[in-house]
Amino acid sequence: MTGWLGAWLLLCAAGVLVTLGAALWRVWRGPARADRMMAAQLVGTGGVAVLMLLAPAQGWAALDVALVLAILAALAAVGFVKASTPDGAGDPEEADAPHDPPLDPPLDLATDSARSDRDVA
Amino acid sequence: MTGAAALMLDLLLVVLVAFAGWAALAGRGVFRAVVFFIAYGLLVALGWVRLGAVNVALAEAAIGAGLTGVLLLATVGRLERAGAARDVPLMRGAAAWVPALAGLAVTGALVWAWFALPLPESPGPQLAEALPRSGVENPVTAVLLNFRSWDTLLEAIVLLAALLGVWMLGRDGDWTAPLGLRQHVREGGVMAGFGRVLPPLGLLVGVWLLWAGADAPGGAFQGGTVLAAVIVVALMAGVAAPPGVDALPLRVALVLGPGVFLGAGLVLAALGAGFLTLPEAQAKAVIVAVETALTLSIAVTLAGLVLGPPTAPNGAAARTPDGARP
Repeated sequence: MTGWLGAWLLLCAAGVLVTLGAALWRVWRGPARADRMMAAQLVGTGGVAVLMLLAPAQGWAALDVALVLAILAALAAVGFVKASTPDGAGDPEEADAPHDPPLDPPLDLATDSARSDRDVA
Repeated sequence: MTGAAALMLDLLLVVLVAFAGWAALAGRGVFRAVVFFIAYGLLVALGWVRLGAVNVALAEAAIGAGLTGVLLLATVGRLERAGAARDVPLMRGAAAWVPALAGLAVTGALVWAWFALPLPESPGPQLAEALPRSGVENPVTAVLLNFRSWDTLLEAIVLLAALLGVWMLGRDGDWTAPLGLRQHVREGGVMAGFGRVLPPLGLLVGVWLLWAGADAPGGAFQGGTVLAAVIVVALMAGVAAPPGVDALPLRVALVLGPGVFLGAGLVLAALGAGFLTLPEAQAKAVIVAVETALTLSIAVTLAGLVLGPPTAPNGAAARTPDGARP
């Protein structure tokens, strides 16, 4: 993989990395926990994109890393949702009415001020 | 042109990795530090791919960004339920100098060692010469399962010892209880659906990594870590119930890998080849058998490490009301 195509793929990968920098800024700033966690998920998704762009130059085994990132980054989201329930083993959807549609009452993970970090200036 | 683009990419990656690492250590707020640690693991995996170390990238992606992230997030939740999650005030004055100087001394010693120690001889020519006789084409697997299989055997046993250490943290009365917390989810909800979609995909990827490990990056540890994630998701989504420490299938799965490894070594020794010295003709078969058993054991052991010690159904007794938080 040489010449213009290789350079173009690397440039695209660098562009995706710039967006990951923005995601890291969101992890830093928050303010709610869901903001930080979703930004980390974006880093995972962007990482998959970078690996796929690198694969032609770097060897196709990079796609295996992309697969593992895709599956394991989702695991962190499960861990986050679990840890934010009262006993650490529940599911926010079963909070009040177990048989109601999932968004009634609305799930307010993102703006629940009690759950957001207090360290933001 | 390609060189310039590659340099730009690498510089960007270095900046992001350095920032994520610094933010995980220097920022305040435990939760934010944990999220930065997860992002750091993801970015470091990209760095390993850029360096051509795909085996390491796979392990970093699976352990650093995946399992460790879940473990740390659960820890933050547990600390908060126990009313113990608070920021420690920054140290000032003389008390701050002791750890700062200690850290500086360790860094200085490492820098000194870097310059003082001779560079290790590159394994290139010898490895290339010995690789065709190892039974596999992936040099990393050849080193781990053939040339230096002693190290790998001991590492498998160390993992088991770590799990026993975690189990010892459980209370005596809880010994026969299932592992970890009692997971519950809303039936038909997102979490339950996730628990049915992700495990089959993860199973496929884990088995693929194990199989690919003979000739390409992958292997028992990488495949086992993905399978551990499958087990953790299935248990968290309530698809399966965690076993107790006295469940026979669990114990068999835990010792199968080290057992087959050790057994293969003893059989080879009895046949006159020497302990864990793989004869060229049987090398591939022995490596595949050992790796398959190891993958299963690593998966179950790592999942057990994430789940934690056996806990009685109302083991969340350490919970305190939110008001108790200082």
